[in-house]
Amino acid sequence: MGIWDTLTDLIEAATPWTTAEAEASVAQEEQAKETTETKEEPEAEEAAAKEEDAEEEEEEEEEEEDEEDLVDPKETFEEECRQSKQCAPVKHHFDECVDRVTNATEDSTKEDCVEEFFHLAHCATQCAAPKLWSVLK
Amino acid sequence: MLARSCLRSTRAIASARNGAVKITKRAASSSSSGSAADSPLRMNIAAVAATTVAAGSIAWYYHLYGPTAHAMTPAEEGLHAPKYPWVHEQFFKTFDHQALRRGFQVYREVCASCHSLSRVPYRALVGTILTSDEAKALAEENEYDTEPNDQGEIEKRPGKLADYLPSPYPNDEAARFSNNGALPPDLSLIVKARHGGCNYIFSLLTGYPDEPPAGAQVGDGLNFNPYFPGTGIAMARVLYEGLVDYEDETPATTSQMAKDVVEFLNWAAEPELDDRKRMGMKVLVVTSVMFALSVWVKRYKWAWVKSRKIVYDPPKSGNSRH
Repeated sequence: MGIWDTLTDLIEAATPWTTAEAEASVAQEEQAKETTETKEEPEAEEAAAKEEDAEEEEEEEEEEEDEEDLVDPKETFEEECRQSKQCAPVKHHFDECVDRVTNATEDSTKEDCVEEFFHLAHCATQCAAPKLWSVLK
Repeated sequence: MLARSCLRSTRAIASARNGAVKITKRAASSSSSGSAADSPLRMNIAAVAATTVAAGSIAWYYHLYGPTAHAMTPAEEGLHAPKYPWVHEQFFKTFDHQALRRGFQVYREVCASCHSLSRVPYRALVGTILTSDEAKALAEENEYDTEPNDQGEIEKRPGKLADYLPSPYPNDEAARFSNNGALPPDLSLIVKARHGGCNYIFSLLTGYPDEPPAGAQVGDGLNFNPYFPGTGIAMARVLYEGLVDYEDETPATTSQMAKDVVEFLNWAAEPELDDRKRMGMKVLVVTSVMFALSVWVKRYKWAWVKSRKIVYDPPKSGNSRH
């Protein structure tokens, strides 16, 4: 530690903003390694080994659970919105159209429900958009 | 003006009607005096005719140009994506770099099998998404052509930071051939290249319905997606729950992955966004300081003008002669 280091440290401590380093500087990393290696060699290794075993088991369990439980929040919010009062008129139109088209005899009409589907999807996504962003990271 | 003339005309008509009772108050007060019985009507003919023409011309215009003709059906136009509150679109916010990192993971594990990202070099990832060691390790996984050696042969070398991300196909024809004739677009500038930007791409990735609505025509080898113009898109739904294992243990739902990858693609399209916002902030800071300075300088320069006093010293009344 020269006089210059002391000075820069003082200035850093005095400035109101901080600097963020993406990576620890090489010197610091080496120092950290040395200290950990010298101090806690035997104990640390044992402990680490135990912890790893425990963690692996836990992780496996969690993963299995997660994959079953994962539900897309977008789907749930949009389903809620589709059933909500706000989208009731467009949903009514869409359902009516689906009934009409599915019950229609062949070749009689070439109607499709794309437009009605658009209106319903528009209503549902508009309603779900802010809720979705509050859930996503 | 019009309103006033209208008012006057009703008044004039009323006065004309009451002419029998001989109320001459209006005639006396109005400047257009004379024969009160017929002249107001004649006078108002021009105004009435002009008003009719004006109203008629508006009506004619709307008859001609009022109703808009849509050349395309809504299906051909595609459903417009809703506006999502992206954090990087706010004026004083940067990209969420944790999300960029997750998004890059999604790109690498999912999108990169078909879509190239040919304008992004590994060096651009350093410091924004990966550390330099991670980026170097990633670059070395791929082989690139060297410069010709002494015998003019081109050898292979491991990648380095200056190299660009490898493309899945050697050229567009190969890409079309492997994808049933559809070309997966390069994603480097895709956020800028599509109407609706981030919102459109997010909606496209998450908007595949379980089944197309009744009666919808879906072409051979195509999938129904309401956000894609024409609704028939060659890309099938790719993002499913738990497709990617995030290193920060964020639950990998479809919308989470789509959000991350879209934010990453936005970064790929405009990596200078953070710097640009900082520059904008600097401009605001400098201009506000300059403005404050100019206000003080103005006060200083005008001080003698503002603080002078003009005094009229009237001559003593005794000495003056009027």
